[in-house]
Amino acid sequence: MALDQLTLAYGPTVAVAALDLTIARGELVALLGPSGCGKTTTMRAIAGLLSPRSGRIVIDGRDVTRLPPSRREVGLVFQSYALFPHLTVYENVAFGLRLKRVSDLDARVKAGLATVGLEAFADRAPAALSGGQQQRVALARSLVMEPKVLLLDEPLSNLDARLRLEMRMELQRVQRQTGVTMVFVTHDQAEAMALADRIVVMREGQIEQIGSPEAIYTAPASRFVADFVGFETILPDDALGESEGEGETGAQAGWLAWRPGAVRLGAGPYRGIIAGAAFAGERRDYVIDTPMGLIKADTPAQDPPLSPGADIAFDLPRAAAVRLER
Amino acid sequence: MSRLATWITLGLVLAFLIGPFLIIIAAALSAGNSLAFPPQGISLKWVVKVFEIESFRESFAVSMFLAVGGTLAALLMGVPAAYGLVRYRVPGAETIRLIVSAPIIVPGIIVGLALLQYLVIPTGVGILTALFLAHTALVLPYAVRVVTASLDNLRVDIEEAALLLGCSRAGAFRRVVLPNIRGGVLAAFILGFVTSFNQVPVSLFLSGPGVRTLPIDMIAYMEINYDPSVAALSALLAFLSVGIVFAAERFLGFSRYV
Repeated sequence: MALDQLTLAYGPTVAVAALDLTIARGELVALLGPSGCGKTTTMRAIAGLLSPRSGRIVIDGRDVTRLPPSRREVGLVFQSYALFPHLTVYENVAFGLRLKRVSDLDARVKAGLATVGLEAFADRAPAALSGGQQQRVALARSLVMEPKVLLLDEPLSNLDARLRLEMRMELQRVQRQTGVTMVFVTHDQAEAMALADRIVVMREGQIEQIGSPEAIYTAPASRFVADFVGFETILPDDALGESEGEGETGAQAGWLAWRPGAVRLGAGPYRGIIAGAAFAGERRDYVIDTPMGLIKADTPAQDPPLSPGADIAFDLPRAAAVRLER
Repeated sequence: MSRLATWITLGLVLAFLIGPFLIIIAAALSAGNSLAFPPQGISLKWVVKVFEIESFRESFAVSMFLAVGGTLAALLMGVPAAYGLVRYRVPGAETIRLIVSAPIIVPGIIVGLALLQYLVIPTGVGILTALFLAHTALVLPYAVRVVTASLDNLRVDIEEAALLLGCSRAGAFRRVVLPNIRGGVLAAFILGFVTSFNQVPVSLFLSGPGVRTLPIDMIAYMEINYDPSVAALSALLAFLSVGIVFAAERFLGFSRYV
């Protein structure tokens, strides 16, 4: 699937500007970004629910830009699942197949329900199912249509932690089993990391970075991505040398970014006051007030706790930092 | 003390609401020959007589035709109108809503007079046609309002899901929207039916030889025959209305929509 110079707008507001993106068959791609970054808009355009202002959408070699949603062979699992409340689970899954007048309807519906493990619920009303089950019905309803691309809108965000893990594995299994190309939208970096082969980080209607989860996590390309994937301390390149001075330098060469775990507490050339401390199970989180600004750090929980107000020394090791150009 | 006041208020309200109804029933069961309360003896003869009066049968048919036909016509326009107003950003949507509500705001007697003066007399359109138009217009606001309320509760994304599963826009409306607003449409029908059937002022000017709605016919009858058959008919109509609304509440939770 390819998006070619895709521009999407709501009236005068441009939501996505000249987006280029190519996704290989069978790939599992995450569109990651904060709300308002254009990821959902992009997904709706791929589905055909929104006409692009300009640009093309090509699926499997066919230009579908002007085709209605019904003829694109694209499935969409809505965040709210969007099951038909007046139909049973079985009829929900059969809905699209009935319109297609397939001959082996019953077999395909049953196979679809089996894929998501809901054969026993065929005669229930959607309202009688849990959120996780409803989502699996929505997944089956899309899958039985054998779409070329399956889109998922925030597939894990409405589920509790335990179900989330279950659903994540389910989605990966379904993807392996059917080989369908999956594109999902999320604002949760952990979700994107855990599920996707490749992550597209979006910001204000443009692609900020594309890469494997490892690449995004270890080598963010910009301050925006770094901040998004948990580099909580980002300082201008030259801030370290002159930690006492407030001097703003005109031409900054770049930035250095540290994860909280990379900040070493207890020894080092810098000093700061513990402004906040929180116990987070595995780790202890600290906010340190320094002349360079607030710095976030954490230590393993077994280390002795530091109390707020304490004046401590710390180090920001250059070796543990990621350098950012923009 | 305030508890007592509450009960007294409640009692008075109920008495005013239900009292007239009870008096009508009592008058309908009278054995006497004039409309009076308290009734003189008990009998069913006036209830029986209602069914023997030719003009009541005719005007009942007219009223039924207007209530059923007019309401169906109003729904035929009102359901798409409500859908359009809820789903699309229509320019001037507020104005459209206001215009649609106009028949409720404008006094019915003016609507009736205007239709007579500017439609029936100059164009020679039949009285029945004029009545049909008037009743359709009168019911339309209720149809739009009630259907709008049930559309508001329906998520857009189920229509989008239907589109992605192969439906056309019209197909999505028919297969997904309509089945889910069925309760609202039925409620609108019942409300429209009752409104049209009980309508007096609009119909007052729109009556002609052999074409009269039942309430107008009852007024005409009363002017000549002051007997309890009108009370008997009123009681029967009241039971009909109460029966319909009660059934509607029972089977589709009518009060959710009105």
